[in-house]
Amino acid sequence: MTTSATVWLLLCVLAPAVLGCATLWLPRRAIAARTLVALLGPVASFGILLQHFGAYGVSPIEAPAATPVIDWIPVLHLNLSFLADGLGGFFGLLVSGIGALIVLYARGYFGRDEAALFRFYPTLGFFTTAMMGIVLADYMLLTVLFWELTSISSFLLIGWDRDDRHAVKLAMQAFFTTGLGGMFLMGGVLMCGYATGLGHGEGLWRWSEVLGAGAGRINVSDPLIIWSFVLMLFGAATKSAQWPFHYWLPGAMAAPTPVSAFLHSATMVKAGVFLTGRMFPVFAALDLWGQIIIPLGAFTMLLAALIALNQHDLKRIFAYTTVSQLGLLMCMYGLGSLDYHGHANIEWDITQIANHAFYKAPLFIIAGALGHFISRDITQLNGAFRKQPAMVITMLLAGYALAAGPGTISFQAKEFFLHAIHHAQESIGPWWMVLMAMAAITAVCNVAIFVRLLTTLMGWPGGMKREASHAHDDHAHGHAEHEHGPWAHLIWIPGLVLVSLQYVGGLAPGLWTQWIAPLETHAAAEGIPTALHAFMHPTLPLYVSLIAMAGGAVVGLGPLMRGAIVDVHDRIYPAMYWLSVTGGGRAFRVIQTGRFRNYIVFVLIAFLGAYLCAMILDPAMLDWPATESIFEFIPGVLLGVIICATAILMPIVQSRVVRVIILGSCGFSVVGMYLLYQAPDLALTQLMFEIISVILFVLVLRLLPDTKETDAASGRWWRFTIGSMTGLAIGWLTLVAAQSGAEPRLGEFFARHSSTGTEMTGGRGGGGNNIVNVVLVDFRGFDTLGEITVLSIAALGVFSLFRRRESLPTQDEFGDQLMRSVRA
Amino acid sequence: MTLILAICVAVTFAVSIYLMTARELKSIAMGVFLLGHAANLSIIAMSRTPVRHEPQLLKGPPILNASFNPAQPMSQIVDPLPQALILTAIVIGFAVMAFLLSLLVITSRKTGTLSVEVLAREGVEE
Repeated sequence: MTTSATVWLLLCVLAPAVLGCATLWLPRRAIAARTLVALLGPVASFGILLQHFGAYGVSPIEAPAATPVIDWIPVLHLNLSFLADGLGGFFGLLVSGIGALIVLYARGYFGRDEAALFRFYPTLGFFTTAMMGIVLADYMLLTVLFWELTSISSFLLIGWDRDDRHAVKLAMQAFFTTGLGGMFLMGGVLMCGYATGLGHGEGLWRWSEVLGAGAGRINVSDPLIIWSFVLMLFGAATKSAQWPFHYWLPGAMAAPTPVSAFLHSATMVKAGVFLTGRMFPVFAALDLWGQIIIPLGAFTMLLAALIALNQHDLKRIFAYTTVSQLGLLMCMYGLGSLDYHGHANIEWDITQIANHAFYKAPLFIIAGALGHFISRDITQLNGAFRKQPAMVITMLLAGYALAAGPGTISFQAKEFFLHAIHHAQESIGPWWMVLMAMAAITAVCNVAIFVRLLTTLMGWPGGMKREASHAHDDHAHGHAEHEHGPWAHLIWIPGLVLVSLQYVGGLAPGLWTQWIAPLETHAAAEGIPTALHAFMHPTLPLYVSLIAMAGGAVVGLGPLMRGAIVDVHDRIYPAMYWLSVTGGGRAFRVIQTGRFRNYIVFVLIAFLGAYLCAMILDPAMLDWPATESIFEFIPGVLLGVIICATAILMPIVQSRVVRVIILGSCGFSVVGMYLLYQAPDLALTQLMFEIISVILFVLVLRLLPDTKETDAASGRWWRFTIGSMTGLAIGWLTLVAAQSGAEPRLGEFFARHSSTGTEMTGGRGGGGNNIVNVVLVDFRGFDTLGEITVLSIAALGVFSLFRRRESLPTQDEFGDQLMRSVRA
Repeated sequence: MTLILAICVAVTFAVSIYLMTARELKSIAMGVFLLGHAANLSIIAMSRTPVRHEPQLLKGPPILNASFNPAQPMSQIVDPLPQALILTAIVIGFAVMAFLLSLLVITSRKTGTLSVEVLAREGVEE
């Protein structure tokens, strides 16, 4: 493969977004041209991908061959390279193919609504590109990047109706849930790259390396790898709406139906399944793989199927069956980790994924169409066949596939799944029966939904009775007068095209095998068996299917479970939202009292606590470090006494004049202390500032009213306690730190390089003899620049505070000038 | 010498905390003022005592002269680094002080009070 392959696949990924945005330049009224340009994007992607397969073949899963790397951000392990293996390539074809049909469907759905189409096609193209990126990216972080882009674009599409607050809320719910998963995915990818890099130099950052050459470097007992798997699986589970995160998917039905048909049935929600399939060849060796994925998928499958049966809105019914099917697909990959006669217990996984897309998207397409013309509430659709025969027939064809009836590829797919459960008894013992029962109940629900659709839409006895209509959460699509002519039929024809593939697989399995087998990664050689084959060689899975069909007919016609229930999981996100916004606000008001003293006390208590911990952990800190006598150096003692005495007097005296005197003498004693410590620069600077400070204090105290400070003494005992404790701690720390014997000191470096340089600095020194000055203007020049900036900002602040008042600003400007002269 | 300094740091720090937890802005301002001194004294202590024991002598200030020995840079002079740090701290401390005092004057003029409690109450009512 040459670099041109990478460029072509990059074009394949970008085409939908580029052409989708190109429609913005078309005049608003050119609807036909707009549709055709938007259609060109996914069609181009589809064509390029096919051409790629024609030129290079499907990359085999054991030795994945990614396209050559084009550097993007090498230091982040984020470059352009694509991997068109069976799984990714199949998803690419699925996304671009259905994407093209959805472009046409949107034209039928929105009709001649120019404003909607103007806005819709660029957003749809953006989403299609993001999805193509996920499935074709070779660099794992590139997958993460596109993963987040799907979250963003799906947010835009779910919240399509910007004036509908409810829809925007649901869009945020989907965004936060899947965005959270994206964070986990990123964590997992980073951890995987880090863990595989330990001791090997470069880590594994590409799917082709993880699955191919580097597979041996993935140590399945390494805790980092296990955590990496858990994090990535969390990302997959949120995106693919596994319990308890499934609530976002039915909520996402607030989107216009073209979006639901594309994102929430066929493509985006399968991103999690795709990711699981990507990880499967290597990570399935983890014990956790089956232990987590099988129960999670099976439970999601069963729960969502039961909820789906108790819904009235067509889109909600199909949303829950989607969740159910996603659970099934996850469970399939989970079962794949089990061993069956030395083989992986997984067959034709691509077919199972394709199966769902080929019946679920048509169901949504027709649900939108029926909602457009009649209603989306199943109780309102009794006898809809007489009004819209073509649509109803398409929906029933798809519904038959939902029920996994013989003659559809769905039937064979379900057989494969039931076989996988049956085969699992080799590894998980009697638990397989539990799984089989769950699958059977799920099948019963699916069949029952089909039976209800059939009887209701045809107006036969046993159908849903008309009830009082109530509003559903569809976006408020304007029911303008309906279009006629060829364009109008686009509202159902894409559904018929897709569902016909179901029957190709069911009735002509040879043809299906021919198409799909090159993409399959886990397939037995002989090809997809026919439904007839299953009936000729009956085994337990077939009996389960038959029982499910009979049971489904009974439940579907029976009077039970005909209401519409509210899913309790719909409360999860609002509850979390309330907790963080309202609860957080309340906690904020409790914690942030706005009282300065509370903040100080909190900080000090934390400091003292940390100090206490340090002392407990390291008792050596308590050893008396000083070796000298306190009266060793008399001038120091005198200055120390003055400093301490003035400090202690400060809170005691009340008179203004005495206060200023005390402040001044404290400061000047500190100047003296600096002199003793051989710091003439400090002493000089402090002296200047001390003079200004005293003047400043005099002025300010004169300007302030001389009120009696009645509050000053309040709470003095606890203040005294906490003050002296912190004082002791800091004093002790000073003593310990100053006596520590850490050598060499950083100051030695500055002393050596102050004037002349050494080899270490390339022969460059500061060229000055006053080390402190050289440090300030040379070694820490930027720091000093920042300091000057602080000073000027303070001066500006003071100036602006007093701008419209009398004389005061001059003081600080004076100080500013003085400082500059000192520092110069 | 270090011991004296440590005691000074302890006392000034304790008093500054005592002042800063007061309910009156003037006291808080003085507490901030004192806190600056306490911190600076604590840092200067890190340069170790300049007193050398054998002959009761002091090390020199950190200025290079003929007797500077690059092999043992600290034998004749004190550590220059804490001084450089403190020099910055003094200037910034002054800037903070000036700004704080200006705020004090403005607050007093606008509200007629310097009591933190009263100010907090009025802030809530607004």
